[in-house]
Amino acid sequence: MPSTLQIKDLQLFRQNERLLSMDEHIAGGDILTVMGPSGSGKSSLLNWLTGSLSKDFTATGTVWLNDQDVTHLPAHMRGIGVLYQDALLFSHLSVAGNIAFAMPKDNKNGGKKQRLEKIAHALAQVGLAGMGDRHPDNLSGGQQARVALLRTLLGAPKAILLDEPFSKLDTQLRKDTRQLVFEQIQTYKLPAIMVTHDESDAEAAGGKIIHLDR
Amino acid sequence: MSQGFDKIAKTQARAHLIVLEQTDWFTRIVTLSPKLLVLILILPVLGGLIGVVLPAFGWVPALDKTTLNLQGFIELWQTPGLTRMAALSVATGLISTLLAFVLALMILAAFFNSVWLQRIEHLLSPILVIPHAAAAIAVGFLIAPSGMFARLISPWLSGWALAPNGILPHDPYGISIILGLTLKELPFLLLMALGALAQPELGKKLRQQYKVALNLGYHPITAFFKAVLPLLYPFLRLPILAVLAYASASVEMPLILGPNTPPTLAVSIMNWFNDVDLTLRIKASAGALLQLALTAGLVAFWLGGEKAIKACGSASLINGKRRYADAAWQKITGVLTVFVIGFMLLSLVGLALWSIAGYWRFPAMLPEQFVWLHFDSAFAQMGTPLFNTLTIGLVSTAFAIVLALLCLEAEQLRARYLSNLTSLIIYLPLLVPSIAFLFGLVWIQQWLNYQSAFFNVAFAHVLFVLPYVFLSLASSYRRLDPRFAHVAASLGAAPIKVFFQIKLPQLFAPILIAIALGLAISFGQYLPTLLAGGGRIATITTEAVTLANGASRRTSAVYAIIQMALPLIGFILAWILPKYFFRSGAR
Repeated sequence: MPSTLQIKDLQLFRQNERLLSMDEHIAGGDILTVMGPSGSGKSSLLNWLTGSLSKDFTATGTVWLNDQDVTHLPAHMRGIGVLYQDALLFSHLSVAGNIAFAMPKDNKNGGKKQRLEKIAHALAQVGLAGMGDRHPDNLSGGQQARVALLRTLLGAPKAILLDEPFSKLDTQLRKDTRQLVFEQIQTYKLPAIMVTHDESDAEAAGGKIIHLDR
Repeated sequence: MSQGFDKIAKTQARAHLIVLEQTDWFTRIVTLSPKLLVLILILPVLGGLIGVVLPAFGWVPALDKTTLNLQGFIELWQTPGLTRMAALSVATGLISTLLAFVLALMILAAFFNSVWLQRIEHLLSPILVIPHAAAAIAVGFLIAPSGMFARLISPWLSGWALAPNGILPHDPYGISIILGLTLKELPFLLLMALGALAQPELGKKLRQQYKVALNLGYHPITAFFKAVLPLLYPFLRLPILAVLAYASASVEMPLILGPNTPPTLAVSIMNWFNDVDLTLRIKASAGALLQLALTAGLVAFWLGGEKAIKACGSASLINGKRRYADAAWQKITGVLTVFVIGFMLLSLVGLALWSIAGYWRFPAMLPEQFVWLHFDSAFAQMGTPLFNTLTIGLVSTAFAIVLALLCLEAEQLRARYLSNLTSLIIYLPLLVPSIAFLFGLVWIQQWLNYQSAFFNVAFAHVLFVLPYVFLSLASSYRRLDPRFAHVAASLGAAPIKVFFQIKLPQLFAPILIAIALGLAISFGQYLPTLLAGGGRIATITTEAVTLANGASRRTSAVYAIIQMALPLIGFILAWILPKYFFRSGAR
């Protein structure tokens, strides 16, 4: 059964000013796009969803993941993956190491050998075959973005958030990476929320679009 | 002259040419200062080592011994209890460093995400400037049989109506030394780590990677150890090695808290050097070389341990395990932090109480009488030591600050950082055991016939003040926006004008902090003052150490408090003055 993500009656405040309110249900495989100028609270929305809302903000409302209330769970127990603008790959691990870091350690995954095979397979699927042993800093921006995507997906999240993930890529790379990300979201049937200020991203996502205008 | 000159900026040749073109004496001085820094740090240390190597092999012209032989080493080897001394030094050094390191990591891991980290930082920062001698005195009061700790639990818990026969302090296993050293080094390591985290790019990167790990489901403490520590550790390596080197070779802590038969190796060496029988100096020099070997061995051991842990741990970094009983460790760390802070506070309270205590019978929690007598009598005799402490501190710190500022300015002039080698050299006086090279340094100073004990002591202090002052100023200096200088230069200002009228005012607060730090370091020096001054210069610290091992507990408490108060005043000034002078807009 695919996951579902539900935001119930969210009201987000900075100091005493109400930034946004939202009430949405996102099914697995769908992408909700949130657009708005800077300062409109887009990143704070994602922070609230992952449980890392900063002290300057307050929020009321609840988050339901697969019909479970996760609003008060700490960040590491929610199971919501995030893809950021920067790839943020760990520089003390290799490419394969980064992905292995994300994979859960259940014994069904088999021993080390199976994990490595799974990683190699995943890398090949996104056109990075044989790059497992490379150091992340030696990869190009597009390659890093793809590794970051694999890392997030192989962490087996139940939902995925995208924080302007393509804005640092040039136009052609942007299209290709975007297509890859959206395809994977469809394949894994994850509910997704994407924050962006680019119209073409919103169009390509093909889901509901919300504008935060202030 | 610059007609056919290539316009590629920042080439070495161009910078060189600019320096030659400008007959600006300021720029010349600035360019020379890194070399001066290196000389000032290397020559005394290396010279001091040579000044110990030669006597170790029997070459002491003052005693008419000019043939090289191994007599010194033979005598050293035959010293009763030598293995015990060496083992004590090694064990106390290693265990205290390990404990301080592990505790610092646990505190960082447990509180990485929370406000408590900053609060703990503020709580522990003042401990940094407490001289080792004062800290030793305070800890000694805490764990003594009739000390604060025993009074707290007597008689309701322990059943003691009279002070028990305790083994702490001065226990033969060095537990008291380990306690004192750990409590003193833990804040230092923690604050070094926080300092690294405060660097803009590194801090941001580490916090982001921590966040990514959390999002991937890693529990907080595991996330710290697997995602943050591997990148943070290289910045901690030199401070840790400095701590290890100091702990294995220090003199103040074992003198005040350690056993006497046998003491640690460093204390024994000091006793031999100070012995009336001058021929013991040969044995002492041999001992100093042994100490050097022990410390070097410990450093090598630690570095080897790093590699071993890296090799063993790399598999578990990526095994995907997201928790290792994090919740339990969080609680344990919380309890331990409370204990550590409680320990420190209690020992300070005990110190304060002893300094104003009249009649204070065991097991009362508070003295029955409060008197100012001890402070009065101490002040009456404190004139000369206080004067010496202040003047030596000011002279050595002033010199260190000027040199550090000039070197940092040189760094900016050449538009590249000081090399790694220079950074290592800056740490040199902190890594080489002072007992090993100070005696040699004194020998050289006498050979050069500097009669001024004051100057000798001040110079010895500079060696220890300079590293801290430089490190403290470096981060602030490097964060200056270079564009201010460029704008000023384009308006026609010479480098010296830029330096004095633009850079220094911007750095007012950091300079004050560096001054306060330098003063604190100088105030707390024991061995350099004792040796370079030939015992003729008394400072608050030398008096405190002498009193701690002899006279009344109350008087040494007073001196310990003065030892702590002096640096504190410096830091309070460093905090207040920027509010009134050179106020920047960001207040």
